[in-house]
Amino acid sequence: MSDALERRLAAYLADKLGAPELSVHDLARIPGGASRETYRFRACYGGVERKLILRRDPPASLIETERSTEFRAYQAFFRLGLPVPEPIALELDGAALERPFFVMAEIENAQAGSILAPDPYGAHRMRIGGQFFTILGRIAGADPHALGLQDFDRPESAGDCWRHELARWQKVIDEDEDEPQPIARAALRWLTRHPPPPAQKIAVVHGDYRSGNFLFDGAGDITAILDWEMAHLGDPLEDLGWALDPLWAHHDPSHPAGTLARDDAIAVWEKASGLRADPAALSWWEIFASLKGCAIWISAAHEYSTRRNDDPVNAFSGWYCLAFHNKVLADRLEALA
Amino acid sequence: MKPEASDILNISADQLLAGIMSVAAPHYLQGATAIHGLLMKFAAREYERGADIRAAENADIRALFAELGGEVRDAALKTQLAEAAAERDTSLTISSLDASNARLRRLLIALHVHLEEHKARAAEKRVWRLLKTMAARRAMPLF
Repeated sequence: MSDALERRLAAYLADKLGAPELSVHDLARIPGGASRETYRFRACYGGVERKLILRRDPPASLIETERSTEFRAYQAFFRLGLPVPEPIALELDGAALERPFFVMAEIENAQAGSILAPDPYGAHRMRIGGQFFTILGRIAGADPHALGLQDFDRPESAGDCWRHELARWQKVIDEDEDEPQPIARAALRWLTRHPPPPAQKIAVVHGDYRSGNFLFDGAGDITAILDWEMAHLGDPLEDLGWALDPLWAHHDPSHPAGTLARDDAIAVWEKASGLRADPAALSWWEIFASLKGCAIWISAAHEYSTRRNDDPVNAFSGWYCLAFHNKVLADRLEALA
Repeated sequence: MKPEASDILNISADQLLAGIMSVAAPHYLQGATAIHGLLMKFAAREYERGADIRAAENADIRALFAELGGEVRDAALKTQLAEAAAERDTSLTISSLDASNARLRRLLIALHVHLEEHKARAAEKRVWRLLKTMAARRAMPLF
């Protein structure tokens, strides 16, 4: 790995942490998704060695996100005691390492489940599922003001959550659609004509809470909820709908996230959040989830085709994931027509 | 022409996944390299079925326009549908089929909006049946 990057990172952290003796070792790039470059490294200062992670913006991101969002969400939920990496430093100015970045603690001895795997959690699926939907319920139940996240992107009112999010993703489709998308367009119109009831509360929405976006250890305990870069305020059912989406179900939609039976998952979420998953409202947010997926995959295909971000995950998303969500939407909405 | 492009892509993907990846790719790129291999498998399948999918979809959309043209009250849209229904694909290159497909899909969206606005429920349901068929035809099994 680049010695120059190690030196620049060490200089930055020494200044940031007030530790002039700080040194950086073993900087190595690791897999970390299409939205950020991810590096593992060790920092020695104050007589101890810390294992840390650097997440640096690529030249172009899969979805344009507010850089500080993920870092601030880590700060807030780390304080609340949820399993997230300890945030260390955020740098919005690209001067230190050429592009914006942040540094957080490494979660050791843990792995993420691949969405392509048929059964990534094996014997731990029930335990992991219970924790997965409990943690999501705790996020939904948390008070954004108490967390200090009240200035996150938000709708004007509880009744406006659905419109705010639908507009967000319609804009993405409008901007990045490289070929006409009759199913996504029809879904947008259907969602507009059949709005859900107002949100029970305006909550922190993770934005990408799903199988594959958390780490778990060998005992079947979730050790970190990751990828908060699309976090915002909105209807807590938005996250639940996304978590239940068939794309993240490891080929068995009756067991969302490859874990609990659907009804059990919803019951766990309701208990942890203190909220109710009204079936009609949840149905709207599940259809929205598949539409949001379409928007993300359309954007990914556009990024790849225009070579703004030629990560192969973007090509995979534009082919497999978009075809998957188009089929989910067509099946669901044909039945409702 | 042998070997077929699909054979070349499949064999190259197998070699990439089985051998080259473990020795040539750094750790952080091994996941991406596996995705490259998977994409080559997908591309091999699309080489085989890509023209057929597009030609079938174009034919289905034209047939729908012919079937539902009578339901349309807007004269300009009705004419566009009739003209599109009478067209045929004269080239089977992917780019040519895609160009036709984009025109037909845009018109399909316009037709769908029109039927929704005029609450033509039976016709709307017919459009959804076609969209369901199109989505199923373009679905991409992982393995």
